[in-house]
Amino acid sequence: MKLSEAGEARVRGYLFVLGQSLKSFLPRAVVMDAVQELESHIRERVDEAEAEPDERTALERVLQEIGMPQRVAQAYSAEITIEEAITTGRVAPTVRAFWNLASTSLLGFFPALGLLLGYMLGFAALLTALLKPVFPNNTGLAVVDGVPRALGVFSDLPEGAVIWGGYWIMPILIALGLAALIVTQRFATAFLVWWRARRGKSAEFPGWVSSGR
Amino acid sequence: MKKKLIEADNPLDKWREQLRRGGLELAILLSVSSTPRYGLEIIRYLQESTDLVVTEGTIYPILGRLTRSGVVDAEWISEETPHPRKYYSLSSQGRRSLDKMLDHWNSYRSKIDHLVEAAGRV
Repeated sequence: MKLSEAGEARVRGYLFVLGQSLKSFLPRAVVMDAVQELESHIRERVDEAEAEPDERTALERVLQEIGMPQRVAQAYSAEITIEEAITTGRVAPTVRAFWNLASTSLLGFFPALGLLLGYMLGFAALLTALLKPVFPNNTGLAVVDGVPRALGVFSDLPEGAVIWGGYWIMPILIALGLAALIVTQRFATAFLVWWRARRGKSAEFPGWVSSGR
Repeated sequence: MKKKLIEADNPLDKWREQLRRGGLELAILLSVSSTPRYGLEIIRYLQESTDLVVTEGTIYPILGRLTRSGVVDAEWISEETPHPRKYYSLSSQGRRSLDKMLDHWNSYRSKIDHLVEAAGRV
């Protein structure tokens, strides 16, 4: 089937939406390559198809079989970002994978929030440890009447508060910060492994299914 | 809805899915091991050679990952058709990986076959 101008516009529109959806999660070069490959796939399918009963119906049938561009992009980006996060175990791919999950599903949002809190806690502890030598009198555990109130760097101490903790608090904060980051990262990887296994069963991401032949 | 959830949690379905996912990468590598193939050709080859169907949303990301990890080489060829096709072939690293995967596969299969025979379930 050779496409008319309207058919070409429909394919370009599909690829535009696909590209825009992929852009949110993947590097530009990967997006361009993915769109080009999907375009080749669509044109291959269109070439083979007969314009029956008309071009529009036949083209819609082809596009429908491939799936909505947002859905294809979701599967594409999820596969790439999650795989990269699990394989490398690095922070940046993990954050990208969780950003992808959080923006495409409710179930992915809350673990992403947990990940954010875990990283923030870890980095805050490390930053506090690093700032202790710079602001020795404003960094540590703020204690009011013997009760610990807050931990961190204070520009203005709460009324009646005193800073508790000398330089010895630095290794403790570093250990706490690193522990928080490691635990968060392990939790994140375990969650992504679970998510990948779960998604493999999902009808929305059929993957590899029996044709029932 | 409840029935669907029960089906999704069925241990047999879970096991079958794990088996399929585990075999998919091997199947893709085998499909490009003897001759370079492009995406749609791989999908059709797998469908015709087995009774299993793999979708576009699954195969292209996996091919992309295999390419980035150096297991598979990818090359755009534009001479054959009005639109270019991206052909995938096994790299030398991929050939070594495939050999190892097949060794594991054959060893694993013979062990399971042995257990099946021992259980008299042939």
